[in-house]
Amino acid sequence: MKKKRVSVFLSTLLVASALLGACSSNTSSPDTGSQGGKENLGSQGNQEQVVLSMHSWRVEDGDGYKKIIKEFEQTNPGVKIEFKAFKSTEYNTILNTALQGDSGPDIMQLRPYQAGMSLADSGYLEPLDSVPGINHFAPDVLKAATAKDGKVYGVPLSLNSTQIYYNKKMFVDQGIQEPKTWDELLQTAKALKDKGVTPFAFGAKEAWLLSLSHGVIAPAEYGGNEFVDKVQKGEANFLSPEFKKSIEQMKELAPYFPDNFVGLDQNDTRALFATEKAAMYIHGSFDLDPMHKLNPNLDVDFFTLQGQDGNPLITTWVDGSWGVNAKSPHKEAALKFMEFMATQKFGEMFANEFKRISAVPGVKVDDPLVNKMAERTEKNATPYLILVYFGEGNPTTKAELENSLQGMYLDKMTPDQVAETVQKSAESWFAPFKK
Amino acid sequence: MNHMQKATERAGRSKPRRRWLIHLFPLPALLVYAAFVIYPIFSAFTYSLYDWEGISRKGFAGFQNFVTLFTVEPFNEMFWNAIKHNLVYFIVEMVVQNGIAFGLAYVIYRKIRGSGVLKAAYFLPRLLSVIIVGFLWKLILNPNFGALNALLTHLGLEAWARPWLGDPNTALMTIILINCWFGIGFAVLIFLAGLQSIPEELVEAARLDGASGLTLLRKIILPLVMPSVTIMTILTFIQAFEAFELIYAMEGSQGEPFRSTDTLAVYFYRLAFGGPSGTGSVAIGLGSALSVILFFIVASVSAISVFLLRKKEIQH
Amino acid sequence: MKTSVGARSLQYLFAYLFGLIAIYPIFLMIVSSFKTNAEILAAPLSLPASFGFESYVSLWESVPFADFFWNSVFVSVVSVLLILLFSALAAFYLARYSFKWNGLLYFFFLIGLMIPIKLGIVPLFLLMKQLGLLNSLWSLILINTAGGIPISVFILTGFFRTLPVQLEEAARIDGCNDFQVFWRVLLPLIRPALGTVMIINFIQAWNDFFFPLIFIQEDVKKTIPAGMLSLFGEYETDWSMLFAGLTLSALPMIIVFLLASKQFMEGLTAGAVK
Repeated sequence: MKKKRVSVFLSTLLVASALLGACSSNTSSPDTGSQGGKENLGSQGNQEQVVLSMHSWRVEDGDGYKKIIKEFEQTNPGVKIEFKAFKSTEYNTILNTALQGDSGPDIMQLRPYQAGMSLADSGYLEPLDSVPGINHFAPDVLKAATAKDGKVYGVPLSLNSTQIYYNKKMFVDQGIQEPKTWDELLQTAKALKDKGVTPFAFGAKEAWLLSLSHGVIAPAEYGGNEFVDKVQKGEANFLSPEFKKSIEQMKELAPYFPDNFVGLDQNDTRALFATEKAAMYIHGSFDLDPMHKLNPNLDVDFFTLQGQDGNPLITTWVDGSWGVNAKSPHKEAALKFMEFMATQKFGEMFANEFKRISAVPGVKVDDPLVNKMAERTEKNATPYLILVYFGEGNPTTKAELENSLQGMYLDKMTPDQVAETVQKSAESWFAPFKK
Repeated sequence: MNHMQKATERAGRSKPRRRWLIHLFPLPALLVYAAFVIYPIFSAFTYSLYDWEGISRKGFAGFQNFVTLFTVEPFNEMFWNAIKHNLVYFIVEMVVQNGIAFGLAYVIYRKIRGSGVLKAAYFLPRLLSVIIVGFLWKLILNPNFGALNALLTHLGLEAWARPWLGDPNTALMTIILINCWFGIGFAVLIFLAGLQSIPEELVEAARLDGASGLTLLRKIILPLVMPSVTIMTILTFIQAFEAFELIYAMEGSQGEPFRSTDTLAVYFYRLAFGGPSGTGSVAIGLGSALSVILFFIVASVSAISVFLLRKKEIQH
Repeated sequence: MKTSVGARSLQYLFAYLFGLIAIYPIFLMIVSSFKTNAEILAAPLSLPASFGFESYVSLWESVPFADFFWNSVFVSVVSVLLILLFSALAAFYLARYSFKWNGLLYFFFLIGLMIPIKLGIVPLFLLMKQLGLLNSLWSLILINTAGGIPISVFILTGFFRTLPVQLEEAARIDGCNDFQVFWRVLLPLIRPALGTVMIINFIQAWNDFFFPLIFIQEDVKKTIPAGMLSLFGEYETDWSMLFAGLTLSALPMIIVFLLASKQFMEGLTAGAVK
């Protein structure tokens, strides 16, 4: 009995000490997170010092943003910004939960178009129309951050373009030229395959890459902006023959994909291309940096297919913009940072730090390939139709296209069925398609 | 006799004095549990009765969300698709995981050299976080660089190598089998405990009567381990119908490929938190309605089985 | 009754084959973490050419793993202690007294077995915010404790019921009050069941990643699984680093288990099948 009493005593002691120990350690460490921080700061007496929390899904960009933020803090001594990135797949879960609990970050990265703007529709974002510099952005660019009420809720960050990257050395070795049209692309792929080279580093495991790839191939077939205009007027839709043909083309490429492509994800295909095991790679401008990190010596260039006028079209959209929490207690400071993000200086820092096309007009980069993308974007851009205009519905029409393209590559759906599924989804909400 | 009487008198006397204190005993558990489990879940259930626009609540909608879930395409299609996968999950877990686990437990029960090491080995995977399990197997199953396809090639079974997680014919089964790998040790221990609680004399007597191994198993052992089988069945059912983390870690919130690994909980997550990478639409009302349905499925089935179990035990 | 040699060797084959299947992936994970990235991709099955700790070194430099570790220890240990205390008190009340509401109360606790708490994440988040516990390890402790109570009450109540009434009566004759009966007489007797509850909840608390992801924002306050998740996002293509991260996350639990595997497994089932 005595021994037991001792052990009971010990375990009580353990609980108690664990509790006490935890309490003291908890109170002694100041909360610097976004939620706890705000209250503490006010009591410091120095009303100038403001700490803003800034959340993003770009885990790989942390170091770059820290440099850019330092620049801002030097000219704005009263403001400190804490950048924090969450894994892309969990970012919106965390953000939505926090916003619903009125504990969102002061500054947050917004998904482009409707996906991000639905937060504004729900009243969680601060309008930014009066931020100096916001009117310098092109109207098309601002559209990505404009909600249904017509107000602007985000400072656009960058322009993404999608294209077909190719390995220059492999093309030269096989005596192959850059293809310009769909037929030439097919011939190129066939020639490579005949020579024992895998033509495309392509995977169907991650569905979002399927609609992205379709966005690269399709505009040349359906006729670029003309078709986009018709769709918006309801004069053409996803059952139009030109759109159906673009889906069939996706299917025609399948023989030129690597073995087991249905099981390959983005990391696998990037590795295939970067390690020179495949000659072509359909991807966004944002993949250039990771690709180079994997193989700095990769001799890479890109091409896009010609539109009706014989000039190469390039598919573009605006990537994540930055918005301000409508319930932030430090709106003024956050808006100051928004102003900074609309400046030429920020645009240049961003473009050179991340090798991306800045959304700020007229920004040049020191990377020739990025410049080539930017130039083509200025001359002959066509929107990534499904992302820019069809991000609504539940599931979104974009998600339906992705899922059914995946089904097509798995031989569960025909190209016609893909087009029908997408059309049906769009009809459920897209006004021009409603009869 | 006298002693007993005295005892009850004394016990009786001491009761009224302190009786109210005993009601404090369940209080801490009740408070914490009510505040952090019951309250949040049931207030989330009430969300199902409202209209939602994105993440903001609009007007009262009655049972509209439930109706939508069952009558509007593609919601109803996705519901039946998902619940079918939950069922497959349950059946395969029962047959493969619990079947093999029972076999292993029986072998250990019949004495085998190194049983301690074996039990530890079976249980080892259960210690890992599901996130780690998912990631580890994703690497092993990688179609190009993964160890499994390399192993198959090595064994001359190249024809068997395939994109396990990318092929809708194998993806769900692969994930369920990984879950079996993860959970088999626990099942072995439960069955073993059941086997070891069978009175030795009973088995001995049957043996003396000349019962063969199989008769012994069927007539004596199986009926007596039924309680542990029932417990495992209920636990497996709950687990199969709440299957989420492993699928999410390996196939994302879409239940890829082509929704071939979608389950009710993954479908719930997609509705409540948005589609691919959270870039899709959020439908909190529909998501909550789905969670209510999920709760009623799990609760009613487990309540019925607990009730049947109780009844059986009483009969014994 | 004798089993034939053939049947016996089949049994051995069966048992050891599955033992191998259980261990091999974990073995592969540990071995791969010592290989270079190129080695893993070229020869996924081979043993490392030389044991390199480079991945561990760069891992240690890029994440505050020591913080993750201590956070995990603190959260898991405190959660488990609270669960043991609270659940045992409640189970004692449910099993040893027959107030008319006890059946209902028992059922109330059982509801928690049937619902994943994740379903209530938004109200839970609001609650934590009102309590000022966001970004605090106490939010995790509370949620782990609350989430662990149903299964623990279930197991402990079953166990308390099996104890003979005479013990309690004798103690009361000796003048023990309710609490003393619970603490001195019955609690020591259900130690095996307490072991079960302890282990189940410890594994659960140690491995949870969802709630830390939502409630904890500062890196230095994350637990191992949640902290590692962001690492996995950042080093998606560096397999050597990934395997090292997986190994490091799994290792503390595996070591504890190997040191005490006997107690672990006996404890795990002692209370489960009653």
